[in-house]
Amino acid sequence: MANNEKGYLALVLHAHLPFIRHPEYEDFLEEDWFFEAMCETYIPMLDIYERLTAEGTDFRVTMSITPPLCNMMADPLLRERFRRYYNLRLELAEKEVVRNRNTQFLAVAKMYETKFRRIRELYEDYYHGNILAGFKKFQDMGKLEIITCGATHGFLPLELRKEAVHAQIKLAADDYRGHFGRGPRGIWLAECAYNPGDDVYLKAQGIRYFFLETHGIIYGSPRPRYGVYAPVYCPSGVAAFGRDMESAQQVWSAETGYPGDHRYREFYRDLGYDLEYDYVKPYLHQDGVRRNIGMKYCKITGKVQLNEKAPYNPDEAREMAASHAGNFMFNRERQIEHLNGFLGRKPVVVSMYDAELYGHWWYEGTDFLEFLFKKIHHDQKAIKMVTPSEYLERHPDNQVVQPCMSTWGDKGYNEVWLNGTNDWMYRHLHKQVERMVELANKFPAADGLLKRALNQCAREVVLGMSSDWAFLMTVGTAKSYSTKRFVAHTHRFTGLYEQIMGNRIEENYLGDIEWRDNIFPAVDYRVFSTAEAEKAAAGK
Amino acid sequence: MTSSGQINNKNTTPEAEHKALPESYGTTEASLLPRDPNWMFIYWEITENSKNAMRKQHGEDIFQKGRQVIRVHEMSGGDGGGKYFDIPVMHDAKSWYVNVQESGKPYCCEVGLTLPDGSFIGLVKTNTVNLPAGRVSDVTDEKWMAVTADFDKLLQLSGVEYIGKGSGEVAKSLAQRWEMLRSVFSRASSWGVSSMSSQALQPQKPAEKKFWLVADCELILYGATEPDAFVTVAGRKVNLNPDGTFSMRFALPDGLIDLPVKALSKDETDTREIGIKVTRATTTDGK
Repeated sequence: MANNEKGYLALVLHAHLPFIRHPEYEDFLEEDWFFEAMCETYIPMLDIYERLTAEGTDFRVTMSITPPLCNMMADPLLRERFRRYYNLRLELAEKEVVRNRNTQFLAVAKMYETKFRRIRELYEDYYHGNILAGFKKFQDMGKLEIITCGATHGFLPLELRKEAVHAQIKLAADDYRGHFGRGPRGIWLAECAYNPGDDVYLKAQGIRYFFLETHGIIYGSPRPRYGVYAPVYCPSGVAAFGRDMESAQQVWSAETGYPGDHRYREFYRDLGYDLEYDYVKPYLHQDGVRRNIGMKYCKITGKVQLNEKAPYNPDEAREMAASHAGNFMFNRERQIEHLNGFLGRKPVVVSMYDAELYGHWWYEGTDFLEFLFKKIHHDQKAIKMVTPSEYLERHPDNQVVQPCMSTWGDKGYNEVWLNGTNDWMYRHLHKQVERMVELANKFPAADGLLKRALNQCAREVVLGMSSDWAFLMTVGTAKSYSTKRFVAHTHRFTGLYEQIMGNRIEENYLGDIEWRDNIFPAVDYRVFSTAEAEKAAAGK
Repeated sequence: MTSSGQINNKNTTPEAEHKALPESYGTTEASLLPRDPNWMFIYWEITENSKNAMRKQHGEDIFQKGRQVIRVHEMSGGDGGGKYFDIPVMHDAKSWYVNVQESGKPYCCEVGLTLPDGSFIGLVKTNTVNLPAGRVSDVTDEKWMAVTADFDKLLQLSGVEYIGKGSGEVAKSLAQRWEMLRSVFSRASSWGVSSMSSQALQPQKPAEKKFWLVADCELILYGATEPDAFVTVAGRKVNLNPDGTFSMRFALPDGLIDLPVKALSKDETDTREIGIKVTRATTTDGK
């Protein structure tokens, strides 16, 4: 390929959900978060990669698939429940096409039928229920770079013990190797939360780069010569890429962002509420309460009441997505040309988003991405899409800067995860970590029942560390569920800890917890030992 | 999972269920966490044993005589000996948010007592926390010097004006959606109350439950005609029961709903029509 590009665009999508799996219930609401994201984001993204590859369009994208998400995608129970989920949706979609054959909703009804058929086809016939194999395929082709994340999306700057930081990274890297057949080259630090010095634990796992919010780089020391438009090396040699705010704003600004266009699908008019009760009841949860079921027939329309929304027109919305993709590309071309002149070097613009924003929140977001990949491939020469690994291979010389503590949360630091709604957690979390380290140091070579109990302790600790619980308490939406989850993991850990220390492990109790919280089947509790963390920090 | 959620000033208290966890662990210890360039969070526990040891050493009334304070040490340039200031706290406090004027420095806190004679008795010390500077570094390397003049422009290009506010701004549309989701779900409730409905089956329901209220209504429309008539409601065909009765249940969002009911006789010679208009307006006291 000719080297006439003016700069690079690295598109980074962060795909994550907390580990939610409740075998103790036949039917559990919060598991829907995963099924919805599968139908609206993860599988549609694979569909795009399949199509682009089939038609010969080259593309580059970096995607985190966090360890909890990997574990859910690989879990037999959730796979079975996901099948039930999309089969029910497809059944309803088929009925809807018949019911709407003479209405103005026929086009959108057909859209859902096609969509759920395609999901079934991809899930069953292409990937045989294992969509991680699908993502791996595109990684092996060099088009997709899958990066990992802390084992349970743990928020590292609020950990007191380095053993906990090491455990989050090491467990994640091991889990990644199990799924993708090689070590991770990059990592998405949960919430982009960086604590200076933690990069040594990344290096110990062979991880070459991570991402930061803009000010993590800009406020680094010494001053970064190229701002966020070139990565910097931490003193450990691990590279940090900074977020470009211009492209972030363009998509998500409340006033001018793309997803608010009136031709796009309206999120808040949902068939779960619109349909006659007896007709929709089989598609609701067992409690029979009306909720969103993910099928929506209206467009945003404008500033009108929900009952005044006009029918959704799939073709019109797709055209709009194409036009927005063109606009996004045009702006990146101008931005990159300008930066190139200003910096005297090819800039890399890092556009980072939550993956679930595309498809789940912004329904046409996946179409937008597909058009963007195509247009960048066919219609311009200024931008070259890269993965961070490719960039570092081409440009191995970068400035050494110590980035500062930062996150991508509101106000830029740790407040979202440390405020009056959730600060009570840390006393308990830190105590568990301290006890877990004590256990790992005390039993360097356990086996049998003791080993099982210690491994389960490690699972409970990391599940409690998930930043999602503190986040949900702050935003107030799933405060009750997240509080329950944190309390449950704390109780389970403490119960096991007391049994281990009292040398009276109850196998039934342990077995029940293993059955509930089965994340990381191959976990080794010694990941929490002080010696391991020290070895990692020393680069051994 | 969405990130960068906005901090909601109305949501400031924890869910009651956190009280299901122990209040103390029986060890005297204190920890310090960084929140942002000017704020830290400290939590501590001082056991009865530790207090008794203090009483033995300094007199039975030491906790009456002394004022409990958090002594905040700035740690730059070696251990202690440097600058410090005290924050008075209540004797039964167990955690505190500590504000410091100078960002970008290491800090350590010590919970202790100040006595009327000005002396200080330390009870428990925290770890040291390095706060971020929260601004552009003063350190410039050799390479940098050549382009210094343009740094302000580079900052603009990098979107420095979005920092802090900006990160939240990006999330604002999302946060609004979360808000709306909540208002939509507050009647059928997936996130908040959902876990209640899913987990209500659990036998050990917590005794302390915050006071709450959920109320909603749906609309049931019913009627009857000749069993062989053709009936539509809002243009949608209705299946009649064998005796000619029918009923339908609809969601009832705020606003006006128009439900014209039409019946056509089997021989298509006669029609009847009833128009039903329903307005719903929900108000809450916002608590």
